[in-house]
Amino acid sequence: MENIKTQDPKIIAFVCNWCTYTGADLAGTSRLKYQPNIRMIKLPCTGRIDPVFIIKAFEKGADGVLVSGCHPGDCHYNAGNFHARRRWMMFHKLLDYMGIDENRLHFSWVSASEGKKFVDVVNAFTNKVKTQGPFEKYAKINKEFVINE
Amino acid sequence: MNEINTIAKELLTSGKVNAVIGYIRYGNDKRTKPFIAQKPEEADKFVINKFILNNLAVYLTREEITKLGKIGIIAKGCDIKAIVALIQESQIKRDDVYIIGVNCSGVTNDFDIDFNAETVAGKCLNCEVKSPKLFDVTVGTLEDIPQGEDKKLKMIRGVEAMNSEERWDFFEEEFDKCIKCYACRQACPLCYCEQCIVDKSIPRWIESSASKRGNFSWNLIRAFHLSGRCIGCNECERVCPMDIPLSLLNRKMAMVTKDDFNYVSGMDVNAPTLVGSYDLKDNEDFIE
Amino acid sequence: MEEKIISKENLLKLCSDLLKNNVDVITPGEKGYVKIKNENEVALNSKTKHTKASFKEYIFPKSEPIIYYKKNQNDVEIIEPKVEEKTTVIFGAKPCDIRSINILSKIFNWDYKDEFFNVRANNTVLIGLMCEYADEFCFCTSVNLSPTSVEGSDIFLLPLDENNFAVRIVTEKGTNFLKSYENYLTPGNTEKSKAVEAAVKQPEKVFDAEKVKEWITGNFESEYWNSVGRMCLGCAQCAFVCPVCHCFDIVDEDYNYSEGRRMKNWDGCQFDMFTKHASGHNPRNDQTKRYRQRISHKFKYYPDKFDEILCTGCGRCSRGCPVSIDIKGIVTEINELAKA
Repeated sequence: MENIKTQDPKIIAFVCNWCTYTGADLAGTSRLKYQPNIRMIKLPCTGRIDPVFIIKAFEKGADGVLVSGCHPGDCHYNAGNFHARRRWMMFHKLLDYMGIDENRLHFSWVSASEGKKFVDVVNAFTNKVKTQGPFEKYAKINKEFVINE
Repeated sequence: MNEINTIAKELLTSGKVNAVIGYIRYGNDKRTKPFIAQKPEEADKFVINKFILNNLAVYLTREEITKLGKIGIIAKGCDIKAIVALIQESQIKRDDVYIIGVNCSGVTNDFDIDFNAETVAGKCLNCEVKSPKLFDVTVGTLEDIPQGEDKKLKMIRGVEAMNSEERWDFFEEEFDKCIKCYACRQACPLCYCEQCIVDKSIPRWIESSASKRGNFSWNLIRAFHLSGRCIGCNECERVCPMDIPLSLLNRKMAMVTKDDFNYVSGMDVNAPTLVGSYDLKDNEDFIE
Repeated sequence: MEEKIISKENLLKLCSDLLKNNVDVITPGEKGYVKIKNENEVALNSKTKHTKASFKEYIFPKSEPIIYYKKNQNDVEIIEPKVEEKTTVIFGAKPCDIRSINILSKIFNWDYKDEFFNVRANNTVLIGLMCEYADEFCFCTSVNLSPTSVEGSDIFLLPLDENNFAVRIVTEKGTNFLKSYENYLTPGNTEKSKAVEAAVKQPEKVFDAEKVKEWITGNFESEYWNSVGRMCLGCAQCAFVCPVCHCFDIVDEDYNYSEGRRMKNWDGCQFDMFTKHASGHNPRNDQTKRYRQRISHKFKYYPDKFDEILCTGCGRCSRGCPVSIDIKGIVTEINELAKA
């Protein structure tokens, strides 16, 4: 893999409880290996994800953000992921327009039985973020919060 | 006495409305400012001219105004779009307002210079609502809006052509000027939340300080909360004391929602709102 | 008060010397008060319009960290940032702007001595410039000021002709400052400067501040307040551009779970959350009440406490207001009500 800018990116994954989290669990019980850079935040449904969470993740030092939920039609709450899908469509375009590279934000549908798919998604995204490098722009503006003596 | 004064006076005398919001002349020149008339004789002060910039729909969600009863509002096409959006979002009922629509041929922010293609407000250049679509009565006659260069669209295309890093640097420089006065939020008719997300302190989502992080986050989230809702009255940009080009964000998002969802905010009172609804066939080719 | 004369050429040389000595020179430019890089950018024209905002942010920043904290295993380490003692010169501000520092100094040294303000104010030399601008929003003469008032300045400049300025040295700080530039100054001509002063057009005095204060005292519940603040959007731009509005908010911001800072940010009484209590009750729960507060604070509460009107008549609030609320018009109306 060419052009790796960092070997240890931090990736935050916002996942829905009923599908993707269970899918990740299945990957674990099946002893499938995936890259260790993701930290998962479990929510009841992708419809609960407010785009401000994604911005907060970047502010707090995430180099990449993964958002994943149930396939359309399979949502435990019927329509949560349909609402989320619309929001994401606009949000990722806005983020890209404002200078947060679209390669740092990834969306996927992973169901409870798709342990293998979860592994593939995480590995591919981690590799992509490795080529993007650490998110220096946010790191720079965060420096004003601490004083250097 | 002009048409507008007669109509407003009649509304107040007959009791059809309890108050009329409109524009009155201000100062020594053609400038105007918002005014609310409750007595019939106060209706003589209203004017319609090229300087009626303010979007008066912003008052329709204020308690001090709504407690007066049924309101008559003098509104240009762009202001009526705001009223339609408020009705779509169930913030006001159609029966609570009496809309005096203005046939508008463009407005300007420059009081000292002649009205022409250079001085006409940017938002007027592509106006589709010169003649209001929703109204109870109309005033004014239509003329042609002078056609000038769409400078803001050019700027948007310029930003789109930059790469990711350049775009970040561009917006970081613009938002460095932000002083977090929230004039953009207060002047926007669609920013009516009782508690704005920036005012929430536990947990703190957006810093209220004028720091780089807080400014970037505030402008981004506000642009997102208005995606699919902003009607393009451009009041936010007009009132910003630091001259930040906010229409670069809001207009871009309006273009995105038009292209991707074929939805324009504020055109149809019966249309479901964009973010409040969904379609089973929504685009998902960006999702793995 | 000592008076000298300085030529325009020497004034620019003085600026150039200041810049060479790493002194911050701040002057009103087209985009507001800016730090200049070159002596030719300095403001020497007495006929220019007011800037959109005042120079308040150089002495009272809009967002300032007052404490940094770091949580360790067992305790919290508090680091107090030191305000840099950098010599700053505000060059060419109008009397309505310069006066603000004296007015603000009263509240920042009242029950607590605000070091953040004091250090900056003590290290700033205020050089005023006579004003020949006056438009329909100005009313400095109604609040005990005038276009030629030296109150608040350390040094005051009056243009005598194309190339010369009278230099009025008002305070000891001004005298000390000019010691190193004595060779740029020539003896003064008070007759000429007094003549220039007398020829300046003064804005008409439109209200009597004492009568206004009296009316406000007795009329808290008056119907008049209902009409005054109704159109206000609550955007607080007036507070942010005003040279003497000083309300601030204290917030904590975190970097991560264990480190962060405490910020002092500008706040405005027109925001609806300004007086919201933790219980949820808000004593000023609509815009008319909040606007009443603004006028009362400026023309009654602050004068009662500190013997100063919290307004210099610069008119920036009215010029910048998105809905054209005119403070001069309002206070004049109150004056009429007071007479009746």
